[in-house]
Amino acid sequence: MNATCTPSTCAPAAPSGVTESLRKPLYHVNGNAEAYEVRVEMPGVPKSGVKLDLEDNLLTVRGERASNAREGLKALHRELSPLNYLLRLRLNTPVNEEKMTAKLEDGVLAITLPLRQTAKPRQITVN
Amino acid sequence: MKLLRTYPSAFARVSEFDEWFRHPLAGMPTLGQFFSHLGGVLPGVTSDKLAVDVHEDKDAYHAHFEVPGVKKEDVKIELNNGLLTVTAEKRQKNGESESSHTLSRSISVPDGVNVEAITAKLEDGILNLTLPKAENKKPRSIELN
Repeated sequence: MNATCTPSTCAPAAPSGVTESLRKPLYHVNGNAEAYEVRVEMPGVPKSGVKLDLEDNLLTVRGERASNAREGLKALHRELSPLNYLLRLRLNTPVNEEKMTAKLEDGVLAITLPLRQTAKPRQITVN
Repeated sequence: MKLLRTYPSAFARVSEFDEWFRHPLAGMPTLGQFFSHLGGVLPGVTSDKLAVDVHEDKDAYHAHFEVPGVKKEDVKIELNNGLLTVTAEKRQKNGESESSHTLSRSISVPDGVNVEAITAKLEDGILNLTLPKAENKKPRSIELN
């Protein structure tokens, strides 16, 4: 870890073999009795740059910034991070993977995770 | 850092910005300067100040503002006395309730920009502003008679 590393630019424990620096995006989670909604802020990422994966209760969101043709341009001032995004969330509630949906709008990825309907309570009659 | 909406502080910020335009060869601010400009707020943390990149080529200045989750109709761009102010209202639904907060940033438009020809485009949460240089302000060589 080098000296210029800050909490927001440091990659969260990258999988082995990956050396790219990544940035953890800002995210919000809302939920009700039916579903959770995770909103991930990834400005600069087009639809084609989003990779979403749910495996073993681990939700992985990757956002690849559009390759902006800013070469040949002279940077006068820079505040925006050029790093791609990686967010990994461990889910502690069973969700219905088949009904999971995601929508990218204005640089925000909204992921809806419907909760899995647990088996309804059953009455067992004793013979 | 809370955004100071009073004029004196707006000008204070603008003067920082002026420096980058006036001394483009000074290069990037150091990391320390960078964080002090953000008032100690680390990037990625919600603040009321929009983050911006400014680039230059021979025809124009390009300013990129990060505005994730902001709709086109909630962006306001104003140009007043050489001061360009971008205001973005971010609305967020939390179940039943809706909250909104306003982010803003002012930059000083450098001399020699054709203000009539400034264009703006919103794409994937990034607001791209193009500030074309006026034809007669582009570098040119003058022939001696």
